[in-house]
Amino acid sequence: MTHRAKFRLFAIPLALLAWQAPAADRILEDSFESLDAWKLSDIRPAVIAEGGGVMIQGTLDRNNPLRRELAQPFRGAEMFVRFQFRYDPPEDDGEFFVMWLDRLDGGDRAVHAENVPNIGVHVADTGPKKGKTVFIVRIGSAKTAWSTVEMQRGRTYSVVGRLSKSEAEERADFDRFDLWVDPKADELDKPDATIKHPQGVNFVRWIGFGTGRKTERGDKLYVDDLVLSRTWQDVLNRSESPPIAQAAPKPPPVPDFVWKQPVDFKTYVFPLLKTRCFKCHEGAKSKSGYRLDVRNEILGYSTGDPLAQPGKAAESKIIEHVRSTTAEERMPPVDGGGEALTEKEIGLLWAWIDQGLAWDEKLLPSPNAKSDHWAFQPVGKTSVPKIKRDSWIRTPVDAFIAAKQEAKGITPAAEASLQTLVRRLYLDLIGLPPTPEELSDLSDWSDEKYTALVDQLLDSPHYGERWARYWLDLARWGESHGHQHDIPRPYAWRYRDYVIDSFNRDKPYDRFITEQLAGDELQPYADEKLIATGFLGAARISGNDMNKAAQRNDVLVDIVNATSSAVMGLTMECAQCHNHKFDPLSQRDYYRLQAFFVNGQLGNLTLRDPATPNPTDLENWISGGAYKFYMSEAKKLVTKKTFAHTTEPHTWGFHAPATSDPGIKRLPVVNRDPIPWDAEDLKAMKARLLIRGDIARPGPELISGWPEVLGPTPNSPSRSDFAKWLTDRQNPLTARVWVNRLWQHHFGKGIVPTPSDFGTQGSPPSHPELLDWLAAELMQNGWSTKHIHRQIVLSATYRQERKHDDANAAIDPENTLLWNWPRRRLEGEAIRDAVLVATGELDRTRGGPSVTPEREEKALRRTLYLYQRRSEMPDVMQMFDAPELIASCPQRGVSTVALQPLYLLNSAFMMRRAEALADKVYLFAGDDAARQVETAFLRTLGRAPAVDEKQHSIDMFAASSDKRDALIQFCHALINLNEFVYIP
Amino acid sequence: MTTPSPISRRAMLERSTLGFGSIALTSLLAQEGLLSAKEGDHTRPHFIGPHLRPRAKSIIFLFMSGGPGQTDTFDPKPLLQKLEGQPVPESIAVNVPKIPRSGVNSPLMASPFSFKQYGESGIPVSELFPETARLVDDLCVIRSMNHRIPVHGPGECVALTGTALGDRPSMGAWMTYGLGSFSGDLPGFVVMLSNSTGPAPQRPGWGPGFLPSRYQGTVVDAKNGVPYTAMPTAYDDKSRRSQLEFIKWMNSQHLAKQGQDSELEARIASYELGFRMQTSAPETFDLATESEANRKLYGLDNAATKEFGTQCLIARRLVEKGVRCIQLRNGGWDAHGSLESNHRAQSRAVDRPIAGLLTDLKQRGLLEDTLVVWGGEFGRTPTTEGSAQGAKRGRDHSPAGYTVWMAGGGVKGGQIIGSTDDLGFVPVERPISPADLHATLLHALGLDQHRLIYSHNNRDEIPTVFGGEVVREVFA
Repeated sequence: MTHRAKFRLFAIPLALLAWQAPAADRILEDSFESLDAWKLSDIRPAVIAEGGGVMIQGTLDRNNPLRRELAQPFRGAEMFVRFQFRYDPPEDDGEFFVMWLDRLDGGDRAVHAENVPNIGVHVADTGPKKGKTVFIVRIGSAKTAWSTVEMQRGRTYSVVGRLSKSEAEERADFDRFDLWVDPKADELDKPDATIKHPQGVNFVRWIGFGTGRKTERGDKLYVDDLVLSRTWQDVLNRSESPPIAQAAPKPPPVPDFVWKQPVDFKTYVFPLLKTRCFKCHEGAKSKSGYRLDVRNEILGYSTGDPLAQPGKAAESKIIEHVRSTTAEERMPPVDGGGEALTEKEIGLLWAWIDQGLAWDEKLLPSPNAKSDHWAFQPVGKTSVPKIKRDSWIRTPVDAFIAAKQEAKGITPAAEASLQTLVRRLYLDLIGLPPTPEELSDLSDWSDEKYTALVDQLLDSPHYGERWARYWLDLARWGESHGHQHDIPRPYAWRYRDYVIDSFNRDKPYDRFITEQLAGDELQPYADEKLIATGFLGAARISGNDMNKAAQRNDVLVDIVNATSSAVMGLTMECAQCHNHKFDPLSQRDYYRLQAFFVNGQLGNLTLRDPATPNPTDLENWISGGAYKFYMSEAKKLVTKKTFAHTTEPHTWGFHAPATSDPGIKRLPVVNRDPIPWDAEDLKAMKARLLIRGDIARPGPELISGWPEVLGPTPNSPSRSDFAKWLTDRQNPLTARVWVNRLWQHHFGKGIVPTPSDFGTQGSPPSHPELLDWLAAELMQNGWSTKHIHRQIVLSATYRQERKHDDANAAIDPENTLLWNWPRRRLEGEAIRDAVLVATGELDRTRGGPSVTPEREEKALRRTLYLYQRRSEMPDVMQMFDAPELIASCPQRGVSTVALQPLYLLNSAFMMRRAEALADKVYLFAGDDAARQVETAFLRTLGRAPAVDEKQHSIDMFAASSDKRDALIQFCHALINLNEFVYIP
Repeated sequence: MTTPSPISRRAMLERSTLGFGSIALTSLLAQEGLLSAKEGDHTRPHFIGPHLRPRAKSIIFLFMSGGPGQTDTFDPKPLLQKLEGQPVPESIAVNVPKIPRSGVNSPLMASPFSFKQYGESGIPVSELFPETARLVDDLCVIRSMNHRIPVHGPGECVALTGTALGDRPSMGAWMTYGLGSFSGDLPGFVVMLSNSTGPAPQRPGWGPGFLPSRYQGTVVDAKNGVPYTAMPTAYDDKSRRSQLEFIKWMNSQHLAKQGQDSELEARIASYELGFRMQTSAPETFDLATESEANRKLYGLDNAATKEFGTQCLIARRLVEKGVRCIQLRNGGWDAHGSLESNHRAQSRAVDRPIAGLLTDLKQRGLLEDTLVVWGGEFGRTPTTEGSAQGAKRGRDHSPAGYTVWMAGGGVKGGQIIGSTDDLGFVPVERPISPADLHATLLHALGLDQHRLIYSHNNRDEIPTVFGGEVVREVFA
């Protein structure tokens, strides 16, 4: 009864007050004399309480018993709300009640949870009052700020909220909601809880009260005296009426600790940081990604997002977090069992920040950006190990392999047969099986002949075609822009030829890299170097991004990710948004790398050499639909005068007007909505660290540089300097990463099994000394890739046969120590190419524009030359695990699915090959079934059939009445065999 | 990849696929525990889930590419009729998020279509979907879908993969990865494309992203069925069988010489599986066995509905065969101009087939195990676009508020979730993001978005990388 009396008492003076001073700030006031203005729930409506105010009861489900529309939607930037509130549940079993502020009424059962500000009481599911009913404030239901004010049954509270926008704009959202329980006039800056949420509502038209599952039927809630106002003063005026405020004892006010005297870092701040913060915020691998043990990091050095700035304690993240009443945000974390800092401690931090963030370099020195991770150390000198079984050794590679094997008691497999080795070398080095003619040349075999064959194959122009494909996977190269429209890039094939040619000429790897990263800058200028920038140019470009900054940034991100992954073997992409969680790579490092590229753009770039072949019959190398699409898009641009058809020879590459060779001319690009091109803008473009990777949150300007952990960067290096640094002999990654890739493509698995992750989370090398020896060997031999090939393929390790061995398998089941040949399946390209060699149909023409699907049968060239539009990849590549050409692909998967045999057995393409092979066989063997079998075996498997194989073959012929059909089916079977599609 | 290990679990599983059929495989894997997978191991069939009680075994996504207008289909706006031709009232415009092409500065365009309430639930449906409307009590209409990507390609990627870049796995790939497929002789994830006008199909929509390629959707042509299942004419069953026996014998000889090798064994098994697919798939795609009445039910007797009707009918047959995910992409909804004629033609082509599919699934008792989802990458603005007049008028893209519906698979039909403002611009109640929808679809199939993990580049990836919560009220 008494509480009712209080309500009564309270309501009168308030009504009087309102009457005495009708404030201009007032938006709404209601003492619930009548509910006419209110919409009531049909489920269980609110009723006017006997003693005044309104009574609400629970339903054990969501209910909005009482809500009303404001006369005018409130569209200001700050609003205060207050109401009197008492909760009378029969028992204390966890309660729920909210008042919400929304744009629209959602009906009786509406949840008003999605981004809707609400304020009330709820059972804390975290924090110091976990399990207790406390006052809460939230925007949406995902995150709640739990106050520490526990709600007591039967007490009357004055609940005050402030809803505000950080951006005072009509369409901006309310993104902050503060809560006070029984506040005093001077407590505006001390809310009991605050929630911040980037998405809220952007205006308030409806206000209402809601109950939920925890609101029992017997629960009685009283609300009275609702006020909405524009000012704290006004909304609080009303709560100065004494009776209720005193009914609810407030926790004693916390001492207001203001440090006036200078704060000594060593005496006061350091011990506090050390005991309360460093558990998670210290060291390069700090659990949180935020460091408090480095002053520069507090200043936002590596993330662009300062935790505190001298003199600005009030706005600092540190203060914000230690004072937060939101459990998820409060530091030290509530969940970690950490008590909140005391007011004294907070005051101390506050003063320390305001006084300039004093530091003690001796106590907490700036870290030395060094790492003891193996891959970040320069390539050391490695001596070839001495082993017992030295008669086995053919190249130093074997000594490293044998040393590990001996240590484990493993014996290697025997040398494979002549025919196996020859086939292995052909498939591995040039991606084509030997022809019968090539096989006939292998009489009186000897070591010299083996070596000569290796030389011959490495000198074959097909070698480049084979090994270029691996690089093109790394370069995520394709002949189109990608994304939705995937518009063709007509001259992207020049880069493909550049890569092939570079491998064939054994271009030193350091030059190969330098040309691809900075070919446009290199002097003297050469077309070839410009074409090489197709590596950077292989980034995808969206054709319909209206946000031009984002469209540009996507390209830069693509370039940095591909470069760091392919060349450096680092997974930098995480650092786009935050410091790398595992590796000593910071977000700053990421954007410093990006800085090398910000002044450039992709495009069609003119070539100068008059001898450059310049085909212009696009329709012959861009597939039908794509060609039509390209031309129609090009025409649109012509009418916009941004594109002129040109027959000038050009390539697709990367160009930076400030630093590229001045003679490079850029031609327009066909894309639905291209990235704007403005040479002057590009020259002036500054690199910025993007906070959280968000293009809308540019952080500090940066100058170019490489990851700090890899050594100091000189002043503003150019892209050429970057390439020079990458290919310096002291660079720990470039050579290691490259020889590891070569090893991987010979043996199916790298010495480091994670070929594009040499970071701390990558797998360690199985043979670290061998890796370093190969890396040193590469650099000492003029970065010759072919030299490394020779070290590997001439080795005894490489020449082993494929043979299971129980004893070895028990010790090393994964064959990591290479005790027998790790057979592997051919890639889709190589399968198709091998079939064309077997049928004798392969058109060995090299280079030039691609072949469209329409022209495929007329030009049966290597698969590498099939038109590679990203959304329209050749069937055989899609069928056999070719990459999506979106990101750098260091290693293809090998999936085995039922569609693959169906493709090989039923596709029109493979059927025609079977027929061609049958015809070829018939030409040699005529009607003699035995000779047919021998000929077909030789053409496909490179060997003669065994007796039982011959018999089974002839048996198979009998299944068909038609002899030609039988021969076709037999030939078709041979190109399906495991023996045919695996490197033996 | 280079494992010459003693008989591996994978090989055993592959064998059991052949020996005991898929149910045995499933139970075997269940006994094996829930495996999560790592990169590089692309040959092993993984079973991650289900984590929860599955409400649906299969899912059919009827993806309406181009973006059907919500105010013309399932979200009537009487006020729009009243304000025809007028500017957007400031009171509503002010609520529309700042995305390009939001259409707030263009004149309002009344829907040319009338709405009627249907069924016991009384859910209103426009005249474009009279047949689907009869089943409205089975539909859960979500009127408050929204995202911020106003362009087709990225929008389609958001709708089907969760992010705009197209570099993540499609939901179908995630589901197939998480659950495998009951169908040993058909691909687990089948995609059919119809009406290829308008924006090009986005491969990432059925692509594997970073998941092994075996989980990608197989694009199937309704006429020819699963690609490469038709034998070349030079073969008959006998000669093919004999050829396969020869291949198997040769492969076994080859294997014997090398000792155990699970990868080679898997490849041997794939020929058996391929053969089964070859015999089974054409059956699935051969609609001759369907009754005349059923063909009519799907609209196969009508030129306008035949294409999509055929695909819907095949979808049902795939569901019967245990295929996990079926995605039917219907293009052409991008009505920037002449919305009335566009939407009439578009809906005419799909309405009967959709109604037929739902009816048929229902009469076969399959609807309760099959989740059917209908919707596009976004909706359309309540305003008209450009200067077109009269019947030439159309609407621009509107991701800020649009409608999808779900049926079957544990869905509580006859309900509407969420609502948009009085003109259909933005949700005013229960806004639901594509990520929420994805979480909900996964949930329906018994997959917990947070436990469906694939380790890629040393990072544990999940399907809903930017959040998303299950919309629980969808389910009964």
